[in-house]
Amino acid sequence: MMWLIATREFRTRTLAKANLISTSIMLVLVVGGALLAKPFLSDTEPEATVLAVDSATAAPLIPFIEAAAEAQGMDVEIEELDAEVDGADTTLPEDAAGLIVGPVETPELFMEDSDDAVVALVHSATQAAVLDAQVTDLGGDPAQIGAALAAATPTVTPVGDADDFDPETFFAGLVVCVVLFVVLIQSASVIMMGVVEEKSSRVVEVLLATVRPVTLLGGKVLGVGLYSLVQAVTLFLPILFASWYLGFLESLEVPVGTIVANFAVWFVLGFAIFTIFFGGLAALVSRQEDIGSVTTPMMLLMMVPLYLAIYLVPNNPDGTATVVLTQIPFFAPFMVPMRAAFGAISTGETVLAVVICLVTIPVLTWIAGKVYAGAVLNTGGRMKLTEAFKRG
Amino acid sequence: MAVLEIDGLEKSYGAVRALDGVSFNVPGGEIFGFVGSNGAGKTTTMRIILGVLRGDGGQVRWNGTPVDLSVRKRIGYMPEERGLYPRMKVGEQLVYLARLHGMDVAEATASMEHWTEVLGVSERRHDEVDKLSLGNQQRVQLAAALVHDPEILVLDEPFSGLDPVAVAVMSDVLRGQAAKGVPVIFSSHQLELVERLCDRVGIVKSGRLVALGTTDELRTTERLQWELGLADGDLTGTWPGVTVTAQGDHTWLVEADSRAAAQAVLASAVSQATVTQFAPVRPSLTDLFQDVVSETEEGSDA
Repeated sequence: MMWLIATREFRTRTLAKANLISTSIMLVLVVGGALLAKPFLSDTEPEATVLAVDSATAAPLIPFIEAAAEAQGMDVEIEELDAEVDGADTTLPEDAAGLIVGPVETPELFMEDSDDAVVALVHSATQAAVLDAQVTDLGGDPAQIGAALAAATPTVTPVGDADDFDPETFFAGLVVCVVLFVVLIQSASVIMMGVVEEKSSRVVEVLLATVRPVTLLGGKVLGVGLYSLVQAVTLFLPILFASWYLGFLESLEVPVGTIVANFAVWFVLGFAIFTIFFGGLAALVSRQEDIGSVTTPMMLLMMVPLYLAIYLVPNNPDGTATVVLTQIPFFAPFMVPMRAAFGAISTGETVLAVVICLVTIPVLTWIAGKVYAGAVLNTGGRMKLTEAFKRG
Repeated sequence: MAVLEIDGLEKSYGAVRALDGVSFNVPGGEIFGFVGSNGAGKTTTMRIILGVLRGDGGQVRWNGTPVDLSVRKRIGYMPEERGLYPRMKVGEQLVYLARLHGMDVAEATASMEHWTEVLGVSERRHDEVDKLSLGNQQRVQLAAALVHDPEILVLDEPFSGLDPVAVAVMSDVLRGQAAKGVPVIFSSHQLELVERLCDRVGIVKSGRLVALGTTDELRTTERLQWELGLADGDLTGTWPGVTVTAQGDHTWLVEADSRAAAQAVLASAVSQATVTQFAPVRPSLTDLFQDVVSETEEGSDA
């Protein structure tokens, strides 16, 4: 029964013309924008540096240049050719940044514009080649020497109270909290509109003759929840596609998996907690015009946990206030992801917060269902919360 | 025998006593008219039957067991304030409501097609409800009450705002449902219609049922009155136990304490002039309603 109600909610919202149009516009903007932007963005991408190498004199340098380029993270393309050297009048092949002519131990590098990176690359490649030759002459194994050299890097250990504020993790946590907030506000207002619509069109009386108020409210929350989820995914997937297509994903250095998992869990829990609550309250008013009298204070109240999470957690991730608020259902959906982004929450705390929320949901459903049942048939002005609760 | 029992319903809104022990039974197959002035308690009673509202006392039973959600799913209800999703298509909406009452998709669709056909809104299945005229919305509302093939019908003012054709269609539907053995309760202010359609009538006043019975029973009063009409001339004379209570143009209203006394009046009238009519006068439901309502008002004032 609840599923039937949820399906209707979902279908009506999803198939609404306005929704289809705005979603397609977003899709076209994001995907089309990515497709259009790609050629411009790839122009600015560093192209491979082309190095021309004289095959007669400098060919043995090629493996060393490639190894050095890899070690330095440079994208180098080698072009072998038979060079004609004519001092300062030497002509470089087209597109080549430089031309290397032997002998291997003391190569000559011809360049139009001096590029320090290329010079340094050729320098270290030459040194490596010389070292390799010397080691071999002395009867050693160049590969072993190379491995030993590669391992010879210092380990850095920070000492004392370093400032561990990391703007990137803060930003990641902030994004989760703000997106959660926006999604919750949006879904809550969709639910409230739905409740008031049923109330003002009086269809609720027909429905209540066959469905329990709690079932009706539950179905609504479920349906709008699925709608919001699909909505979020239809926006998230194109953005993900666009980021991948434009090559933004590789440069991301935050734990995306953890963030997405956190978002998923707290989306569901936060959604249940806030929308059930808002749905019950929406029954207090009878007309769309009056909905603001209930929603505005609620929206303001919802900003409190958001701001506390944003300001409290970065400054004091383990403080008493933070730890206590983490366990309060209305705060947890914002506190936990934020603290998780900072890595400042133990698994035990997270589990406890989830359990407390799970326990709260039925209680909240009961209260909201009672308020809803008491108020939903009341017409006219705004109803008092306590009166609705008593009647329900 | 299937019977819907309404037993001692009570309901107060704060200091206002909306229902004060309303009791009546409606057996299957009967059309029961629920009459009363605005605010008398009709809608409250119906809402309590549907469980949309919780009564303070009393019980509603179907076949002897208290009505619960599973029984309520078998009731067809038309609330006083019409309610449908304005932006949902007629067909979709009716199928949805039928499924909420427990039908599967195939049954619900077949039933939707049947009732939109019967009620003359089959052309509008693919239109959103708020695109329809008020009369057609009303027909859809009745379809919504019937679409799940209910065992009981409770209709609050089903005839208000309907044109005569729609009234006829709806009357036929109600008769058809009653013939199937469904108890039909409906409220109306159109008393002639109630009189014509209903097997029994209950008049409710200030939360109490002040009259209950078949229309014939209700119209039978202790005062025996006849209307006498003469083609010409005058009605003269006195008869024991008879008084002339009113006189119109060639008509007289006589009240007699027995049928024999009335016959004496008729005999003497026949001997005096040409009698055009002589018929017992029984109050219409409208008169009765006004009587009952004003009586109890006086009663409660005293």
